[in-house]
Amino acid sequence: MWATNLKIVGVVLGTLALYTLIANKIPQVQSEVPRALALGADVTPEQLVRAGEQVFNGIGGCTTCHGLGTRAPNLLTDEKGAGPIGARCGKRETGKSCKAYLYESLTQPGAFVVTGYEPIMPDMSRTLSPQQIWAVIAFLESQSGTVDVGASDIPAGNQGGLTPGASPGNSGAPRLANGNTDPMTLFHAAGCVGCHKIGAEGGAIGPDLTHIGARASATYIRESILDPGAKIAKGFERFAGIMPKTFGDQMTAAQLEALVRFLASRK
Amino acid sequence: MADGFYLLQAAADSLPAYRDFPLIGSRTAVWIAAEIHLMFAAFVLGVPMFAVVTELIGIVGKEQRYDRLSKEFTRLLLVAYSATAIWGAVLTFFLATLYPRFFAYLTAIFGPSMWAYVGLFFLESFTLYLYYYGWDRWKHGRAKWGHWTLGILLNVWGTIVMFIANSWLTYMMSPPRDVTPQTAPASITLWHAMANATWMPINVHRLIANVVFGGAIVGAYASYRFLAAKTDEERAHYDWMGYVGNFIAISALIVLPFAGYWLGREIYQYDQSMGITMMGGFMSWLWVIQAFLIAVLFLAGNYYLWVGMGRIPGAERFRPYTKWLLAILVLGAIVWGTPHTMIADSRELAAMGGSHHPFLGALGVMSAKNTAVNLMILTTFLSFLMYRRANIRPVVPWARTGTLVQAGMFALAAAVVLFFGIRGYFVEAIVRIGFSVYQVLAVLSCIVFVTVIDVVMARGAQSLGAIRWGQMPPRSQYALFILAVTFTWLMGLMGFARSGIRQHWHVWQVMQDTTQYAATPALGYAAIMISICVLIFLSLVAFIFWLGGLAEKSTFVPEREAQHVGH
Repeated sequence: MWATNLKIVGVVLGTLALYTLIANKIPQVQSEVPRALALGADVTPEQLVRAGEQVFNGIGGCTTCHGLGTRAPNLLTDEKGAGPIGARCGKRETGKSCKAYLYESLTQPGAFVVTGYEPIMPDMSRTLSPQQIWAVIAFLESQSGTVDVGASDIPAGNQGGLTPGASPGNSGAPRLANGNTDPMTLFHAAGCVGCHKIGAEGGAIGPDLTHIGARASATYIRESILDPGAKIAKGFERFAGIMPKTFGDQMTAAQLEALVRFLASRK
Repeated sequence: MADGFYLLQAAADSLPAYRDFPLIGSRTAVWIAAEIHLMFAAFVLGVPMFAVVTELIGIVGKEQRYDRLSKEFTRLLLVAYSATAIWGAVLTFFLATLYPRFFAYLTAIFGPSMWAYVGLFFLESFTLYLYYYGWDRWKHGRAKWGHWTLGILLNVWGTIVMFIANSWLTYMMSPPRDVTPQTAPASITLWHAMANATWMPINVHRLIANVVFGGAIVGAYASYRFLAAKTDEERAHYDWMGYVGNFIAISALIVLPFAGYWLGREIYQYDQSMGITMMGGFMSWLWVIQAFLIAVLFLAGNYYLWVGMGRIPGAERFRPYTKWLLAILVLGAIVWGTPHTMIADSRELAAMGGSHHPFLGALGVMSAKNTAVNLMILTTFLSFLMYRRANIRPVVPWARTGTLVQAGMFALAAAVVLFFGIRGYFVEAIVRIGFSVYQVLAVLSCIVFVTVIDVVMARGAQSLGAIRWGQMPPRSQYALFILAVTFTWLMGLMGFARSGIRQHWHVWQVMQDTTQYAATPALGYAAIMISICVLIFLSLVAFIFWLGGLAEKSTFVPEREAQHVGH
């Protein structure tokens, strides 16, 4: 019986050893805790790029989707002949500099969604500090482009801290449509058009809003903008959770009301 | 009551946030306690489910051996129960002393459910004692049905206990979206916290997984008793018990991926970034390991069946097919385990020459993987069917037609799986995801309809000889051990995935882990921890089963003894 017992112990230990060995032979990736960046007022672009690379490959989790081709555009390698992100970021949106475009992509990812991809990117200001966001922008610009992020872009009072969710402050980046209350300007600036059709333009990820006023009240529309998960339109359940929940923070009260009135009037 | 919770919250605010555990650290201490408690809990929740089913088969079919088998399952429960409670207490004390502020936060929200949990635990324990110790007293007539009802009650209490505990851990994963770091825990209503996004998917997933796990451990127990048996009768009994354990484990395993798919979908819907972290982020390699483990399960389960056919007269006619079944399983496992969207840095991307590996990229997509796993499930079902048909020859006039229809159903299901697998390469991702539903439906329909035809066709079938229980080569029993170890390890791995996607949060985006252990470790470290937990668990299981054997002789009863039960 001892021989049988030893064989059983051998089978159990051998199986455990095999699984442990395989799991230790594959690439080892640890999920790090976000750490504060210690960048002073005299930070150089090179320091920003190095810090940004660490955030990009580490706590930012950017490599999860970017660089893999199917979920989001490649950033570090060529994308459809346009080169890495630093070479193409200034040409993405008309009239928008590379820096402004990248900032918008990180903090309002729904504002402009590259054709062929779904709006799945989260608002990175929820998990990264302004310093980290600017460091990532510098790193992305360095990918075949010119780094023009500097210490002046980083908001004062945030030089050493990690404060996800903090407002971007002085950055050259615009508030939503510069406070403009024109509904269609807002509709584009907030990225609604990426998912919702209105008239002849817009996507099909969310409900068509061309005649939204005929089937929804102003109260319903307001709730849907501020708390998109509260009620999910029939037929769009699979996209629940995609619409950002941050419009209440991004729009002024006047902008919100202008947009609600406009949509409610579309009968 | 509200005052009490505000007091709890005030107490929590004045507590130190953390304490450390000597030598191994607080995270390791809690990890081991939680994992081993969970393994025992899964066992004591899974086994009663098939104990009542086998008892029912014994009552309805008037077969004493099923009743005895059920009692033997329950005897294993008895000794495992105290171990579950002990490890539960260890986990609670570790949490309360090492993570006091976090534990106080949970108690402030879930206090009443914790009291209900304790009450139900009492009920469950006493129901188990009544169920086991009343076995011989209530074995006839109506009393037997009353006894069986106790088994049902045992399952009901156990399931509610599990649901309650699941609500705590799923709240940590997916707290309601209106809960923020500033929300006072006492202001969160209990039901609001319990009915969170991942609660029900986890409940269902664990319910099924417990059956799988229970079947596997029972199979390992039976295989040990088989190897240690001194008489042919004893060997025959434990051979049969091992077969039943394996049958239960593999049958429930086939359903498990669908519950897992639902859970994954809910995670994605709750938070895209959490879903992406799980499937394509730092955990992406975990799924390659999972694929390898499941391949081992399929191969070991099928191997056990094929070897088992050696003791069935008439099975020789199916032997030539096993090599083809093996080929499909191996090819399927290779495709399923092919990496695709691996997390990669800029150097790795450059080395690969693009975002995907030029060859493996095509095999690693979900279209190929879904096709592979569905064909593996079909193949395993075919193995079961051959095993079932081995020693009978149907005599119904439509037997040939029935067999042809069965073959046609297999072919049709495989064709549907292949068609949607190939078509998936030519459509958008959102459409492709929907294809997996058609593939699953085709496989499940095939399993259901082929089984129905087979049961009807086997009526009055000519026997080619009785199964020679006990005449199994010892190597088949080691396959059962590998199954048990693999299931246990897989449970540890999936637990790491579920818990690890919270990353450095105790409660996702609400309460941050600020200890020195907050970083979520890489798979290599996790694998070492899982192996340690599995080793401790299996050692304890072996010890308490040995103790159980000392206290009471085996309950197996030779066929010649009492023939009737339940009347």
